[in-house]
Amino acid sequence: MFKDLDPILHSQLRLAVISLLISVKEAEFTFLREKTNATAGNLSVQIQKLKEAGYIDVVKQFKDNYPQTICKITPLGITAFEEYVKNLQSYLGTNT
Amino acid sequence: MNQPKKQLTEKESLDLIAKMISKAKDSYHDTGIGAIMWGALIAICSIVKLSEIHFGYQLPFDIYLLTFIAVIPQIFITIREKKERKVKSFDDSYMDYIWLGFGICIFLLIVIINSVFHVWEPVAMEYRQLTGHRSPFQFSEFVSPLFLLLYGLPTFITGAACKFKPMLWGGIFCWICCIAAIFTSIKIDLLLTAASAIMAWLIPGILMEREYRAYKKQQAAGDV
Repeated sequence: MFKDLDPILHSQLRLAVISLLISVKEAEFTFLREKTNATAGNLSVQIQKLKEAGYIDVVKQFKDNYPQTICKITPLGITAFEEYVKNLQSYLGTNT
Repeated sequence: MNQPKKQLTEKESLDLIAKMISKAKDSYHDTGIGAIMWGALIAICSIVKLSEIHFGYQLPFDIYLLTFIAVIPQIFITIREKKERKVKSFDDSYMDYIWLGFGICIFLLIVIINSVFHVWEPVAMEYRQLTGHRSPFQFSEFVSPLFLLLYGLPTFITGAACKFKPMLWGGIFCWICCIAAIFTSIKIDLLLTAASAIMAWLIPGILMEREYRAYKKQQAAGDV
């Protein structure tokens, strides 16, 4: 029985962001933009959606008088990502 | 990646996840400056000390005092590297604690060794006065192995955790030199210490710095 894939994660940019954040402790907005090659506006919108779902924490602060946005995956985000990967594997029949 | 509404296939999703995880892993690059500085400094200190013993002269200050002074640039290097870093890995905080712990252990070892020398020296002198020979036990012969023992630990852990083989082998090299130094004279001990500093920090540091420069170049090329 296949489960539906999480619609929050089943989007190219949001999945890319979560995949980056799962591998690190925390990352700056500029790092995510650099790695995903997304525009700042689009990335901001997708980050906001992930934040609203409770999958990531976003901290806005100042560093050397410049605004800095730091993103970090939450335990709920980790669980959702793991579930998403598990479902993907079951679709593809790669789950052992 | 500016089409959020594009429907991904399952295969595309898995490929994207793998690609992003690999990109995140590839983003961690140490500048290697700290390793180069400490490797060169310890090697120079050991060689200067060796030349003092071999040629029978003495500098007006203990050359190893430079290691205390080097803590100041190290603090600046660490602060600058942390500021420049756009991403924090899970290993970062563990590594910071491991090297901080190493620094504390080295400081405590220096205190212990100085305390032992303080007690041992009058005994050795009395032995010499009474027998006319040097004491068969020379504590100074066992100082280098103790330092080499400590040098190996954080180097080995860092090499293993960061999957950076030159540092892993550098750590093992320190321990091999530690065993060898137990049986060798103080001059050879100092040579082994210099070799360990070069193998454990200087060479890995140079390799790290090269990798870092290549990564920066690649990033700059990507920005154009």
